[in-house]
Amino acid sequence: MDLFPVWLSLRVSLVATALTVVVGIPVAWFLARRRHVGKEVVAALVVSPLVLPPTVLGYYLLVLIGTPGPIGRLLGSLGIELAFTWRAAVLAACVGSLPLLIRAAQAGFESVDERLEQAARTLGRSEPSVFWSVSLPLAWRAVVAGMVLAFCRAFGDFGITLMVAGNIPGRTQTLPLAIYDHVQANAMREANVLALLAVGAVIILLVGVGRLARVRY
Amino acid sequence: MLSVALTKRLPGFALDVHWDAGEAVVALVGPSGSGKTLTLHCLAGLIRPDAGRVALNDLVLFDARAGIDRPSRTRRLGYVFQGYALFPHLTVGENIAFGLKGWAASRRRERTDMVVERLGLGGLQHRHPRELSGGQQQRVALGRALATDPDLLLLDEPLSALDAPLRRQLRDDLARTIREWGKVTVVVTHDLGEAYQLADRVIVYEHGRVLQSAPKSELLWQPASESVARIMGMRNVLHGTVLKATPDRIQLRWRGQTLEAVNSPSRAYLPPPGSPLAFFIRPEYVRLIRKDRGAPDPSHHMNLMSGTVVSQTDFGTTWTLAIRLDEPGAPAQGEYDLEVEVPRLVHEILELDRDRRWQLSIHRGSIHVLPA
Amino acid sequence: MRHLWLGATLAIILGGAVMPSRAADTPTLTIFAAADLAFALRDLAPRFEKAHGIKVSLVLGSTGNLARQIEHGAPADLFFAANESFVDDLVRIGAVIPETRGLYAQGRLALATARSFGAKLTDLRQLADTRVRRIAIANPQHAPYGKAAEQALRKVGLWETVQPKLVYGENIRHTLQFLQTGATEVGIVALSVANVPEIDWVAIDPALHAPLNQVVAVVRNSGRPELGLAFIQFVGGPEGRRIMKSYGFLLPGEF
Repeated sequence: MDLFPVWLSLRVSLVATALTVVVGIPVAWFLARRRHVGKEVVAALVVSPLVLPPTVLGYYLLVLIGTPGPIGRLLGSLGIELAFTWRAAVLAACVGSLPLLIRAAQAGFESVDERLEQAARTLGRSEPSVFWSVSLPLAWRAVVAGMVLAFCRAFGDFGITLMVAGNIPGRTQTLPLAIYDHVQANAMREANVLALLAVGAVIILLVGVGRLARVRY
Repeated sequence: MLSVALTKRLPGFALDVHWDAGEAVVALVGPSGSGKTLTLHCLAGLIRPDAGRVALNDLVLFDARAGIDRPSRTRRLGYVFQGYALFPHLTVGENIAFGLKGWAASRRRERTDMVVERLGLGGLQHRHPRELSGGQQQRVALGRALATDPDLLLLDEPLSALDAPLRRQLRDDLARTIREWGKVTVVVTHDLGEAYQLADRVIVYEHGRVLQSAPKSELLWQPASESVARIMGMRNVLHGTVLKATPDRIQLRWRGQTLEAVNSPSRAYLPPPGSPLAFFIRPEYVRLIRKDRGAPDPSHHMNLMSGTVVSQTDFGTTWTLAIRLDEPGAPAQGEYDLEVEVPRLVHEILELDRDRRWQLSIHRGSIHVLPA
Repeated sequence: MRHLWLGATLAIILGGAVMPSRAADTPTLTIFAAADLAFALRDLAPRFEKAHGIKVSLVLGSTGNLARQIEHGAPADLFFAANESFVDDLVRIGAVIPETRGLYAQGRLALATARSFGAKLTDLRQLADTRVRRIAIANPQHAPYGKAAEQALRKVGLWETVQPKLVYGENIRHTLQFLQTGATEVGIVALSVANVPEIDWVAIDPALHAPLNQVVAVVRNSGRPELGLAFIQFVGGPEGRRIMKSYGFLLPGEF
């Protein structure tokens, strides 16, 4: 049985989760702290991927990153292929999981007592230092919870990936797409094996992360 | 010298204060929501005032017109927050050393040890805040603020999170610590007694404004207005009518009595006859006249009145009596006219449990008029 | 905490470096094909591979989605659609090579009954029966077989009656699944995929709907248009025609 989808999905979801963390945490911080006019607009944008049907979202993304699209052409001129490659699968997984991470992390940052951050400022810390030494350590649990959610969502993405990466076996067919293909072809044995592998892989990862999170206070 | 001028508009609240303090320790006193903490936040640079100027000696921290607004981290201050705001994820030692980030490790350790020692926190360095008692937490917060050797120390209700018995003792410790470290200090409190013990100058706040700024001795005897007296928790704040006012004396009518009071120290208060007048009488300065010594001596006993003790409360070392005058009509303060405080000994000698009818006298210097 | 950050960034970089983005180095023919060709092409592809030594990568989906993906640069060499209009759209925007556009088969509808139902339907009009509670068809909005199903139902005057009983599948395979799992008792599917153990079926008179002309074309972006052409010729050749016929398609020359 071809297990390429398993490896592909693991890599795609790990990279996508990392990307989500790098992009999402600053956004969550921004939404939690600043009282700007733009805040509601950003918040709405963040949540919108949850609201749209995934294939529709995928289609809009495809219009942007497909070879004739604006981003596609830009990347093409730089020699970078995005659509219908594993990178597009990462993008798809990222788009789907960002809202989950951002909202979880945002709730975490909001729950940090503002006085603690103020105290840090009076004690001579710059804003980035306040973030790293006070806000993030105290919001740690919520952030990790968000990351776990983000990973699971990234791993399980279907509709967006289907549109922007395509269902190309051996190249962009992630585990969810492969399982679906087998189910559609009524190849239930293969489908079940892959489904068990998917759940098993995620359980192992979650247990590992859970252990890590318990190490702290 | 700390000079402060601040205006700040918030939804439903406006702060507009202006005061200067040459003393080392200043207390901001007033009811909750009067703008004291807001003032501290502005001094600390945590909130930007709409206009004004804040300067400590020759260092300008904020000046709206000159466009100066130093960020908190460069103001060289120590702030003890209400509730202490200790970092729960750090140990006591790490909390105290938090402001010493740029220091060399050895210097930082040395300084932390010193602070720990001086504040009596020995042995607790590796504990976390949640493992400490309220008093210990307060000292950690203080230590953290003082570790950086700030120029200005700001304390927001440093004792209000503690229970009463502890508070008394810690107040002494805090007063001592503040004096020892010798920083320019601004303390916010709603407890007048605390303000008196800790500070040299008291600034009374109400509704975002300063009602009075005075050295503490002056405030006790000369509250600038009835509002200040009320905030200071003064008892026997009464209202009468002016009969005659001279720079030295004010004659007034109250509850059928003609009373003579000294005028306020400024001697400029000359209300016209017939105008209303607020005044207060300290309960411990109302004298009950002994019955075994014959008629009262006019040179000692002035403003004579007679009344009945309608209730009394035992406070351990003193008794507080509520006395209703023999005058017809409604009493000035609910069920009674005057609150009188007598030491326990006096209560026993006069057999106040048994004998309820008394003549009172109040020296004219003990009736303090409150300018409107 | 900072370590987490660094770890995350590292993961992105490594992920990018280590991941192989292509699976094959032997010449591959990527075929985007409509769902109704699932069985037929799964049969044909290995034969072609053996005959020509070229690996075939089969990507099945709904014609509409596939067309859109090709429009936006999907790496397909060949597009087997389940109808004409989607391919003609692509011709118009220049995504496929017009000269290669060709009619390769005509699809047929089958009236399918899930074996678990018990009875076996033989006529469309039986769909009005109250014992039939749910009918699966492909979505008429974008699936050619669904559109044809709607046309047939209208032709026999049943469209309004059965409307409340209809369950839409995203594509033919999805529709088939409803029947295979017994979620619906009956359905209208492509004849070419009806030969599965879970269902019984009868062919539906092609006169009841517009012809399901199935068109193929070589994608302009293909790096190997000659491979695509070779496959088209294979499908149109004697072996290809035999196999297509066995899956119930009508072939050029027969209609």
